[in-house]
Amino acid sequence: MLLLQNLSNALILACTYILMAAGLTMVYGVLKVLHIAHASVYTVGAFVGVLAFTRLGNFWVALAIAMFVSGIFGVLIYRSTYFYLLNSPRTVPLIASVGMFVMFTDLLQKPFLMGAYQRAFPAGGAGLPAVKTALFSFTAKQVLILLVTVILLAIVYVILTRTKLGLSWQAASMDRDMASAVGVNLNQSIAANFFLGSALAGAAGVLVGVYNNSVFATMGDLPSYKAFIIIVLGGMGSLPGAILASLILAIVENFLVASIGYVLPRDSIAFLVLILMLMFRPNGLLGRE
Amino acid sequence: MKIKLSSLFVALTILSLILAGCASQPTPTPAVEQPAQPQAPEVTEAPAMTEAPLETEAPQATEAPAEEPAAPSGEPIKIGFFSPTTGFAAADGTSALQSAQLAVKIVNERGGVLGRPLELVYYDDAAKPDQASAIARKLIEQDKVVAAISGSYSGATRAAAPIFQEAGIPMLSAYAIHPEITKTGNMIYRIGTLATTQGRVGAELVGKVMNLKKVAILTIDNDFGISLTEGFKQHAAEIGLEIVLEEKYPLGETEFRPIIGKIKASGAEVVYATGYYNEAANLVSQARDEGLEIPIIGQEGYDSPKFIELAGEAAEGVIITTDLNRDSERPMTRLFLEQYEATYGEKADMVGASAFDAVMVLAYAINTAGSTDPQAIVKAISELKNFEDVASGPFWYYTPEREVVRPISSQIVRDGAFHLYHEFTDEALVKP
Repeated sequence: MLLLQNLSNALILACTYILMAAGLTMVYGVLKVLHIAHASVYTVGAFVGVLAFTRLGNFWVALAIAMFVSGIFGVLIYRSTYFYLLNSPRTVPLIASVGMFVMFTDLLQKPFLMGAYQRAFPAGGAGLPAVKTALFSFTAKQVLILLVTVILLAIVYVILTRTKLGLSWQAASMDRDMASAVGVNLNQSIAANFFLGSALAGAAGVLVGVYNNSVFATMGDLPSYKAFIIIVLGGMGSLPGAILASLILAIVENFLVASIGYVLPRDSIAFLVLILMLMFRPNGLLGRE
Repeated sequence: MKIKLSSLFVALTILSLILAGCASQPTPTPAVEQPAQPQAPEVTEAPAMTEAPLETEAPQATEAPAEEPAAPSGEPIKIGFFSPTTGFAAADGTSALQSAQLAVKIVNERGGVLGRPLELVYYDDAAKPDQASAIARKLIEQDKVVAAISGSYSGATRAAAPIFQEAGIPMLSAYAIHPEITKTGNMIYRIGTLATTQGRVGAELVGKVMNLKKVAILTIDNDFGISLTEGFKQHAAEIGLEIVLEEKYPLGETEFRPIIGKIKASGAEVVYATGYYNEAANLVSQARDEGLEIPIIGQEGYDSPKFIELAGEAAEGVIITTDLNRDSERPMTRLFLEQYEATYGEKADMVGASAFDAVMVLAYAINTAGSTDPQAIVKAISELKNFEDVASGPFWYYTPEREVVRPISSQIVRDGAFHLYHEFTDEALVKP
């Protein structure tokens, strides 16, 4: 019973990782840029979400607004920075990305934006019911997270496999110049990719904000590296890999804590797993090459 | 592959550099020895002084004078201040800074110090020890402050303390509670209650006031949590509490569900959980979500209106030990709580009260000393008796180890606000 409860809690934790990592791995697939500032998009998403929610009182509208604004924010990041650095060595956009992340975090902490204090995000389960069985239970918040994650992943899956846009991303991830030569509008394709990936990060920010009932300027610190580790584990650029890695990491974290306690900070488990992966399967679980 | 790995490495290095800042919480030093045995202090006044406030002979220099105070004039007297207004500790640092500024305003409205205006020179240390030591030097050499206040965490405060000690400038630690801080030397005093003392009061609360026996302890893994738990366990052994489960968790943890399952299985009647308001809010919400209904006992780390805001319904019934009694009728406590809310539009917290009190103690000490001579200031602080001019007081007296002795209150959350649950005035219990 305790086992199943731990497993269901781990599943919810995994959902919060998946949305964040999915966006990151999509961006990596097309651009081959390690987009650390993705975590800023996540924070902005949560912030916009909480603002919209407190003004409008409807979680679903707030989620839509947050995802849209995050998407635009992501595209702006691309157009203002990475766009100019695509042909530089890969460490250049990486460093730009880290710089942006630090800058946005400090900026968001200014009193006229998010300020120093945590804000509550009291959306509860957005009206969804809690699920209680003899063996395990989900709170309304957990049902909400599971539902939103599954819906968003289904949408992403359809776009990736059934649309021209998805095809153009696949082409671009194989060879940008070649894709361009055979008629893919790279600029539009990459911008759309950033928009979708960033909207997912924004949704992740909103869901985590609701789950922990708190939104704050430095909330992206942790996801900035954890999402990154997840996409390395899963295989850079692989969406199923990111999902699998999120699940594994969440389960390992949950069960280690439940069985031996916090022998080491829970969040450092990810790094241990990363080291093992790089030693034995450097291309990740589902990576190609 | 080569490129991928190398850029991976660069990314990890850069990230770890950034995060090192956040992670550089003071490493939990095991050395949380009780500060030197209390050698039978001159118990001049019995601690029953709580209800006998103003009529003592205490030199209430700054206490509202009968007639209009003369407006302060002349060269301002500068005191230094540092707290984290950016970074992970920004909420506490901002509370501390705003409260200190409020105190300075009140002191100046009452006529300043030595007839001159009091001026707060403040810097942001981001709760980083290296920044705090640079700031300490700057305050001493460039700003030439007569005394300083740390509104920062233990790590940063410990880094700054020796610099002030060496320069012979008095420094007050507002709410950093690591035992080593005051051990730096005779210029370093503390406003907050030493963590081990507060842990002891927590055990008393569980065993004697609530009459419960089986405790599960959850410790936040830093100097703050470890010192609290140490004090708690020491007293728990003395009064015969049974510790059925003990777990540590890291700073910033958000996922307590696996531990909550273990607590439920342990048969505990009560949880003593150390931590700050954000961890605490997650802990109590998740505990109630998972159906763990036993009382949860916290301490001053929970003492923020944000705890109640973030935990919502789940906060109801949580009991904490703290220095700030929200229901106190003492004029200075009321003044602080009301003016803070009126000025900043937020409710005040314990961290703010401590920074506020640090300014009040310094203002009193400078006025009593009649000069800005560091030794005279320190002497005035060490001789302070039944000091009422503070929000978290009264301060009965300072021990020779420069720790304050005063009543400690426990507060319960009812109807979305902290209210008095029990006040501990037994001197043997609350004395560091």
